Amino acid sequence: MTATVPSRLHPRLRSTAKSVVAEWNRIGSQAQFYVKTLTSIPDAVINYRTELWRLIAQMGLGSGALAVVGGTVAIVGFLTITTGALVAVQGYNQLASVGFEALTGFASAFFNVRLIVPGTTSVALSATIGAGATAQIGAMRINEEIDALEVIGIRSITYLASTRVLAGVVVVIPLYCVAVMMAFLAARTGTTAIYGQGSGVYDHYFGTFLNPTDLIWSFFQVVAIAVVIMLVHTYYGYNASGGPAGVGEAVGRAVRTSMVIAAVEIAFISLAVYGQSGNFNLAG
Amino acid sequence: MVSTYLGGKPVRAMGGFFAMSLDTFVQMVKPPFAWKEYILQSWFVARVSVLPALMLTMPYSVLLVFTFNVLLTEFGASDFSGTGAAIGTVNQIGPIVTVLVVSGAGATAMCADLGARTIRDELDALRVMGINPIQALVVPRVLAATTVALALSATVILVGLSGAFFFCVYVQHVSPGAFVAGLTLLTGMADVIVSLVKATLFGMAAGLIACYKGISVGGGPAGVGNAVNETVVFTFMVLFAINIIVTAVGIQFTVQ
Repeated sequence: MTATVPSRLHPRLRSTAKSVVAEWNRIGSQAQFYVKTLTSIPDAVINYRTELWRLIAQMGLGSGALAVVGGTVAIVGFLTITTGALVAVQGYNQLASVGFEALTGFASAFFNVRLIVPGTTSVALSATIGAGATAQIGAMRINEEIDALEVIGIRSITYLASTRVLAGVVVVIPLYCVAVMMAFLAARTGTTAIYGQGSGVYDHYFGTFLNPTDLIWSFFQVVAIAVVIMLVHTYYGYNASGGPAGVGEAVGRAVRTSMVIAAVEIAFISLAVYGQSGNFNLAG
Repeated sequence: MVSTYLGGKPVRAMGGFFAMSLDTFVQMVKPPFAWKEYILQSWFVARVSVLPALMLTMPYSVLLVFTFNVLLTEFGASDFSGTGAAIGTVNQIGPIVTVLVVSGAGATAMCADLGARTIRDELDALRVMGINPIQALVVPRVLAATTVALALSATVILVGLSGAFFFCVYVQHVSPGAFVAGLTLLTGMADVIVSLVKATLFGMAAGLIACYKGISVGGGPAGVGNAVNETVVFTFMVLFAINIIVTAVGIQFTVQ
């Protein structure tokens, strides 16, 4: 026997409306998660200090196969070496084509600080500590370990997400220093040792145009990016579903979301900081 | 014993990767070619990559032209902002955004998919049925990543330049004619070809790494998550290294 159900009115409209509402609710739950994570940070510092120290150590050194290639520090260092060397390769040759190759030192001081280091660090952070956090928390979600945490009376968002956001911010401070040093060093070595520019010329223009204020802003940019990246990555890990493949997909989704958000953030902070005056003076 | 095992692990992984890459290149030219899988995978990679690529290009190209224009305005040469935009977008932002998206979106999804199949022993099942998983699964995926990376880099360059155009002309009040005229001042056909070559190499490397990590997964859900994490890290490292090498070689042909 078959029962017939009359189709409902406007099925297409209904399904569109339903997906719009679902999207809207997803944004809401995401915002709720972020607010809860951020407001629980003091709680994490007071009550889950051991976990916090463990995470700081683990994020700095990396875990699993990443520790084999030297951990987060080595990965960030390597990526900024390659992008810093771009200043030497692209900058020197491009400037040489218009007869200005003396200004490569200036290009290093200007573009490394404002564009290359924040951009590369954001990418490196989302690939290393960010994706690692999603993979760990996602696997815990799939194995129902998060429910177990809640059952034994541990506030899971505080314990898993807030601690990671704070640990990410702590770890990013030495990482930023490594990144800037490596980018400067790669640009200088490439220009002076490989393309054969006099190191005095390079250092003169580099020293003249290296602006400490820019460096501090670039540092704050990277810290702000670290907070956002860790928030996005912990959210996707915390809400992973769909078995083993689900964890992998959550990592992928988290990486692409956090990269887009980090890029928008860098662009907007730069516009806000340098938009009015440019904070740049050729005449000195 | 333990220390030799620890020391041998990365070397063995390296060897496994090269063995799989060699297998892939050999199987690529051997019929039958898995057309259906290739088309499905290309569509899949394109679907997950296009939106993030466009969303990532816009802020980076705006940031680039903005930073360039701070400089050019100081020189009194903001008419040349098109030149800066073209150099930055065609030579660096185009290929690098393609790298980020192909490895961040395409390769992770590929690795998660293959990894889930591996831990459910589906690959062994294929072997039992006499189907070579390299030929049936890896070859189409690597080729799909290569194709999409090539197509994507062209799209990224176009979108990046249009974004730069709108930002320069409507926000920073550069004259549109001067911007367009400046585009081809230092950037020519050779730069575009180098940029496309880069993107092709990136796609191939990302596809190979993702597939290797996917088919060598072990250890349950945590294993798949870690494999995807490692895919992202290793693809970024390899691709950034390829970028600097190809730039250094290519610049010999593009800059006179």
